[in-house]
Amino acid sequence: MDYQKYIRNFSIIAHIDHGKSTLADRIIENTGLVAHRDMKEQFLDNMDLERERGITIKLQTTRLVYKAKDGNEYVFNLIDTPGHVDFTYEVSRSLAACEGAVLVVDATQGVEAQTMGNVYLALDEDLEILPCLNKIDLASARPEEAKKEIEDMIGIDAEDAPLVSAKEGIGIDNLLEQIVQKIPAPSGDENGKLKALIFDSVYDNYKGVVIFVRIFDGVVRVGDMIRLMSTNKKYEVTEVGVMAPGHVPAKWLRAGDVGYICASIKQVKDARVGDTVTLDDDPTEEALPGYKQIQSMVYCGIYPAEGEKYEPVKDALEKLQVNDAAFLFEPETSTALGFGFRCGFLGLLHMEIIVERLEREFNLSVVTTSPSVVYKVVMTDGSVRMIQNPTNLPDPSEIDHIEEPIVKADIMIPKEYVGAIMELCQQRRGKMLGMDYITTERVDIHYELPLNEVIYDFFDALKSKTRGYGSLDYEFIRYERSQLVKLDVLLNKELVDAFSMIVHESEAYQRGRFVCEKLKEIIPMHQFEVPIQAAVGQKVIARETVKAYRKDVIAKCYGGDISRKKKLLEKQKEGKKRMRQFGKVEVPQEAFTAVLKYDDNK
Amino acid sequence: MTTNNETDNGKKALGIYIHIPFCRSRCRYCGFYSRAAENSPDSGKAMEQYIWKLIGEIAERGAMYRRQYVADSVFIGGGTPSMMPAAGVEAVLGAVREHFVLSSDAEVTLEANPDTVDLRNLRRWRAAGVNRLSMGVQSLDDGILHTLGRIHSAGDAVEAYRLARKAGFRNINLDLMFAVPGQSMEQWMNTVNRVIGLDPEHISFYSLQIEEDTPFYEAYMTGELDFVPEETDRAMYHAAIAAMRRSGYEHYEISNMAKPGMRCRHNLKYWSFGEYLGIGDSASSFMNGVRWTEKPREEYHENDFADNTGEYVFTGLRKTEGIRKSDFARRFGREFWEVYGSRRGYLKEYFEEGLLLEEGDVIRLSERGIDISNSIMAIFV
Repeated sequence: MDYQKYIRNFSIIAHIDHGKSTLADRIIENTGLVAHRDMKEQFLDNMDLERERGITIKLQTTRLVYKAKDGNEYVFNLIDTPGHVDFTYEVSRSLAACEGAVLVVDATQGVEAQTMGNVYLALDEDLEILPCLNKIDLASARPEEAKKEIEDMIGIDAEDAPLVSAKEGIGIDNLLEQIVQKIPAPSGDENGKLKALIFDSVYDNYKGVVIFVRIFDGVVRVGDMIRLMSTNKKYEVTEVGVMAPGHVPAKWLRAGDVGYICASIKQVKDARVGDTVTLDDDPTEEALPGYKQIQSMVYCGIYPAEGEKYEPVKDALEKLQVNDAAFLFEPETSTALGFGFRCGFLGLLHMEIIVERLEREFNLSVVTTSPSVVYKVVMTDGSVRMIQNPTNLPDPSEIDHIEEPIVKADIMIPKEYVGAIMELCQQRRGKMLGMDYITTERVDIHYELPLNEVIYDFFDALKSKTRGYGSLDYEFIRYERSQLVKLDVLLNKELVDAFSMIVHESEAYQRGRFVCEKLKEIIPMHQFEVPIQAAVGQKVIARETVKAYRKDVIAKCYGGDISRKKKLLEKQKEGKKRMRQFGKVEVPQEAFTAVLKYDDNK
Repeated sequence: MTTNNETDNGKKALGIYIHIPFCRSRCRYCGFYSRAAENSPDSGKAMEQYIWKLIGEIAERGAMYRRQYVADSVFIGGGTPSMMPAAGVEAVLGAVREHFVLSSDAEVTLEANPDTVDLRNLRRWRAAGVNRLSMGVQSLDDGILHTLGRIHSAGDAVEAYRLARKAGFRNINLDLMFAVPGQSMEQWMNTVNRVIGLDPEHISFYSLQIEEDTPFYEAYMTGELDFVPEETDRAMYHAAIAAMRRSGYEHYEISNMAKPGMRCRHNLKYWSFGEYLGIGDSASSFMNGVRWTEKPREEYHENDFADNTGEYVFTGLRKTEGIRKSDFARRFGREFWEVYGSRRGYLKEYFEEGLLLEEGDVIRLSERGIDISNSIMAIFV
């Protein structure tokens, strides 16, 4: 009997908020793996942050057993995928581990940018796509229109797409049956040479790195010497098993299986997503396709906040890195902020998540500097430097020209917002490539945009201008020569390097004004006037002044209530503690992020 | 010295504060605990019940403390204590005499609003032992009084002051308020000069504070009222000090000036780490290193070393004479700079700019330093 006939490996793909995680919960519940009462909402999203933001950051995988109507029991390996454009590569590797994908489309919203992004990724991996319409319990659901969108845009038959409500548990049985019927079983060669794809890895305090694999060919057992093909490093397998969920050890994993391998690997970066695992003494000739080294797209400085020490921040970053191969950091020094770290991320969301985890999970207070992309600086002598810290930009006289990364962006919006979004993209130096009508109501606009325009606040602006209906997907395409300048900020005539940013010449003035205005709002009054200046080179292009305060006194103290007065003073003192001192100027920590935030009124 | 905590007979000095939380109407700036009783048909009864409660508390506290303490000041504040029937004042002060030891020269203050004052009452208060009157004049400009929501006129205030003199009061404080929305420097100095002309022994002058949950706060947030800019506020403050100083008043606390020898003994206890006992709703006490506040704002806190030193310094700095390092060392057993040496860095700029002064044994704020005193005081808490 071919055991592979009874395995289904699949992912669920969807746009954010279309109900992917809720649907995963229902599938888990309906296959009887976890009793309803033990379910936390959204079982697979197990970081607090993920649950709060309603997105999946770290993917999870679960083995389920489903008794189908044909009387057979099927093993479902459900591989969850991260739900954000920052993690496209990881999504593609998860999909590569599957034969099929359940495409969840919100029946009230229709197809959106990331739906498309994920569909393309799935099609690239030759997956069978099983569409499914969610949220049909809502009055605003329009399943027929959504089906038509799927057929028109993706070119797959959506006629039989199950109509479900993950929230209400409607239509789940039908979906499970279709998974059995429509998603192909794996068809690997159990007797072939071991070929397994790493689609995720996590660090476990006791076991070291746990790698999650899909076995395509062959068998892996405890005691085997495995080899990771991108590094050629060898490790002895100490444990294999399946996620059911939680680690359930097994004797072996064989072709068609999805499971985990422990092999005393010290760091996640030694077991990179996309790498191929084979046996050292009987290796496969060819690695699986698609592996690439992840490139950080966005960099920023992370510094211990006032009163916070350097070492705990370093320890925490190391711990985070152990679990996140896409996150890079190295020590750096800022004249304004002292000793800290330059950190590389996949995107702005990835950055925000790391910073929030530092604060929440490690209870650290940190300051982050303006995020920057990586610029290609071509020097007059012809040499090339890659610069991701504005402070390190060489003297303009030594620079021949600067190139910046350009991305191709697909933006999907209801048609009434086309004007607003074209204006936004224009402001962000976008070049329009074209526009497709998805339906009579919705369009997909294609733009080339400089990445540094996208990382600051583009997504917030898009959401704000489309009342939340706009969606965005982008990918890097090339470096392009551009007129870029370094914008510096001076407080009380002293340069604060942590505020420096690289901007397009045409925007320097506007950006400078915005930063000065923001800082004026945030910096408290001092005993003296604080001039805030934005400068390009020696030229001051914007200026604001924080007025000096004249009065900070409690005139009256009612009936000897010293405690009340003392509390006021204590509050004032606490406020002072959260300040960063630059020369004589005190700057609240939030200033560093506030200057980056999108402001509707600007 | 009035600020000494030990009296001759070995007993400790105590100030007694008695709170009367009733007002005829609530002023628009007031965030203090009071019950506006004007329209309540039961106000007389509520007042009577409250007085009985006060007398009970006085008896109870007296039983606890009369052996260790001599009361050298009593302050009946509010609210509007002058709303109390004269018999109430007599009963309360009678209870104090019965249950506490009251020194022969005790300062006994009653707060009075001009609209509640008549000669008969004034005489009875005096007879009951009140020897200091603190009158809430606030302004001698009817427009400003209206803005503040006061229910008396400038004429009422002047008349009340004359009556108090007639009744024999030789120690009168007039409370003033400046930086009131719409108030000009001229209006303010006009009030100051006329008040100086009345020649009271003591003048308190408070910069208007916007307190949350007051009509002023609402008006402030909605931008409905024109508030006085900080620069003008400070100019008003310094101009008033100069004018009063020329007329023989001494500036002894941030918001208080007095003729020589007429400083308020009771209020000085707050700024000199003296002990005081609060009686009545939300009254605050500080005795034996414990600070507490009565219901409904109930609180209780046993001070530790850092609380004590911090409070000593920040309250002491409210006085223009500042604090004495020798007194600090005697009270707390450690040298001032041994305790606060680590904060010198934060204090440096204030010393350099002459806002905070160290003169031999004394550390004090300069007059300019008062303007930004919170930022200096915050360093010590």
